[in-house]
Amino acid sequence: MGSVFSHHRTNADRSAKDRSRHKEKIEKAIREGIHDIVAEESIIGQDGKKKIRIPVRGIKEYRFVYGQNQQGQAGSGGDADVQRGQKIGQKQKKGKGKPDKAGNKPGEEYYDVEVTLEELAHYLFKDLELPDMEQKQMKEILSEKFKRKGYRPQGIRPRLSKKETAKQRIRRKNAAKRAGTYNEEDGEDFGFRESDLRYKHITVTQKTATNACIFFVMDVSGSMTKNKKYLARSFFFLLYHFIRSKYEKTEIIFVAHDTQPYETDEDKFFNRGTGGGTMVSPAIEYVIEQANKRYNPQSWNLYTFHCSDGDNWGDDMDRTIELNLKLKEMCQFYGYCEITPEDERIRWQNGSTLANAYEPYEDETFKIGRIYRKDDVWKVFREFFRS
Amino acid sequence: MSDWNLQDLQDWDDKICEIAKKHGLDWYPITYETCDYYEMLGNMSYHGMPTHYGHWSYGKSFEQQHSQYQHGMTGLPYELIINSDPCISYLMLENPMYLQILIMAHCVGHSDFFKQNRNFGFTRADTVVPRMRNAKKRIQAYCEDPHIGIDKVEELIDAAHAISYQVPRYPMDIPNLPEEYERHRLANLETVKKNKVDARDLPYQPEYDLLGFCASYGEHLEDWQRDVIEIVRDSAYYFMPQIRTKTMNEGWACFWHYKILHELELPQGLHLPFLKSHNQVVRPHVGRINPYHLGFHLFNKIEERYGIEECFIAREVHNDESFIRQYLTREDCEELNLFSFSAQNDYYVVDDVSDEEGWESVKKTLLAQTAGNSIPVIYADSIEDGYILVLHHEHDGRDLEVSYAEKVVKHITHLWGSEVKLITMVDDAPYEI
Repeated sequence: MGSVFSHHRTNADRSAKDRSRHKEKIEKAIREGIHDIVAEESIIGQDGKKKIRIPVRGIKEYRFVYGQNQQGQAGSGGDADVQRGQKIGQKQKKGKGKPDKAGNKPGEEYYDVEVTLEELAHYLFKDLELPDMEQKQMKEILSEKFKRKGYRPQGIRPRLSKKETAKQRIRRKNAAKRAGTYNEEDGEDFGFRESDLRYKHITVTQKTATNACIFFVMDVSGSMTKNKKYLARSFFFLLYHFIRSKYEKTEIIFVAHDTQPYETDEDKFFNRGTGGGTMVSPAIEYVIEQANKRYNPQSWNLYTFHCSDGDNWGDDMDRTIELNLKLKEMCQFYGYCEITPEDERIRWQNGSTLANAYEPYEDETFKIGRIYRKDDVWKVFREFFRS
Repeated sequence: MSDWNLQDLQDWDDKICEIAKKHGLDWYPITYETCDYYEMLGNMSYHGMPTHYGHWSYGKSFEQQHSQYQHGMTGLPYELIINSDPCISYLMLENPMYLQILIMAHCVGHSDFFKQNRNFGFTRADTVVPRMRNAKKRIQAYCEDPHIGIDKVEELIDAAHAISYQVPRYPMDIPNLPEEYERHRLANLETVKKNKVDARDLPYQPEYDLLGFCASYGEHLEDWQRDVIEIVRDSAYYFMPQIRTKTMNEGWACFWHYKILHELELPQGLHLPFLKSHNQVVRPHVGRINPYHLGFHLFNKIEERYGIEECFIAREVHNDESFIRQYLTREDCEELNLFSFSAQNDYYVVDDVSDEEGWESVKKTLLAQTAGNSIPVIYADSIEDGYILVLHHEHDGRDLEVSYAEKVVKHITHLWGSEVKLITMVDDAPYEI
């Protein structure tokens, strides 16, 4: 009794559909668990095209399994000399499972998922938008987008689709064969006809873009410790990518300040060192001045975001508040973010922080966010932009 | 690229079959299909079934295996064969001739085991392929049904998969539970209720078939939902014997490929690489149990101690647990260098080794992880007021992982349609989920 041999009839890529369902689930997990990863060191400071690997908790299949006290296991020692009481390996720390270890043992499954920042931005910012964006009357820009949309029998020469045209001819030929009006064996030439020609059709969509100008203001004084700067940058980094991914016509002005404001470029803003004392009012004043000079609030949507550790020169407080109220009136939205890492908080118990001073003025257009640790970056971000 | 063609395979197969027959093996005919590694991975994800219903977990399984393979963490298994009549096995195009010969001889062993071992008696190997194909079509239709849709189907399969190991361990035909309960009622009219079977009095005895119980008595289940649960249940019953006999099945296949290959009079150029591969397959995995290694060792010892006849009897009547319990001696434990270990603080520490006073404890530990014994046993005990399904865990000293159990109970709630609770023990105290 012999066996039967055959080459596998390929039914294409049989698990393709199930893989794509699995991928959808992972993407969902990415979206849901995104706050875990947005403030990761590996992401902050990358440009949009670069691929980043992020660990994503696997989609688990739960079953009844034995837990920690599952008594002994048996194993083979191979050629090794095994003694009672011998330590044979380190136990895995709870919660930090090795990747790629599936099995039915409890523990975390992690996958490394490669995404570009652009994709990440897409997941992150799906349901967020700049608050209170208005269609300002002036300087409304219409952007035009061209999009392919099917084929038409009429068109201009450069848009002729050779492939579709050839298909039309074949179709006509087959029809002719069926109808018996053409016989291939006769060697007769079956040429193109005018009616075979197909042109790519292009439609133009018009989009009204709204002008927005966003001021990024960051405290870079000496009191901004490494950790604080890191949190502030994480916040601005998110903000930057959020705006870049959602709004085409936006101007971003980067302002760093200690006792003086400095307008910088993007690169310096994210990577610059710190030092000096803190005076907030000159920075606010600078923003107001620049906004009035360059971006007339009549025609621009203005947004300001300020990150600081809440420290300010005591005598400057009144003026700061005064200017702040003025700026608030000009802006569609003004977000202030105070960064006080948990382990550095004790110093600020005297209550003289900016956030405390600003608190009475908080409303829909002026919000205060407090960041104590990495997780809060995303929380505050969502608070600001949830429509 | 390869050093063989289908005709070569056919020629070697004829010789293999002849030798196997001479030794008294009696197997399902085998259909070999050649495929490349990518298709092999695809087939593996679906347990080798030529058709199988879709579910994201198989996509996940593919991704995992593919990435492991890509990173060189694992090789592919040499062989993949399913318990069907005829058996279907896949041969990878990338494998060289000697490996194909080894695999074919190995598959004859598996096929004989599928056909002869009593655990497989109810798997209906002759219809499994069309059954799976049919199930796939039905599930696909539910996914495409606008009133149901893939999300609902997936959620249900997720839930059913969570308890797909919770079926009876011993070999049995899939019972029709309502009929069975009715029979039980008629046979015990004095002790059970006289009137019709009422779900609220069930089950009469511990019911280990959780999928079956949910499918028959779950509240508010629609027909399509019962059908999907039954599909998962059918495949659970089908795969349970393989879980129960992994060591024996592999041991038997290795035992025979080794015997057959020695009688094949292979040319030297094939013989040496063959031996190397064979040793690779049956080598001990340090710190773990390699079922190929253990099974191969035991069948050889049985032949040595009691003669080949005993091997044939063992392959027919045993499962891994009874097999090891009966045949694994102190000498074997020592030779295999078996030991037991457990976690103490941050380390794994050896508890016992296979010497005079230790080997029985090592054997006991081994048995507790053999033949599906590493899967907790859960049964349906009763239905309380409010149609609450009460499950019990047969606690044997090992606690359940509570975080997992909670999730599974949630899944069962989805199937049952009403509240579900599970009674177990945690840290020696009763615990309810």
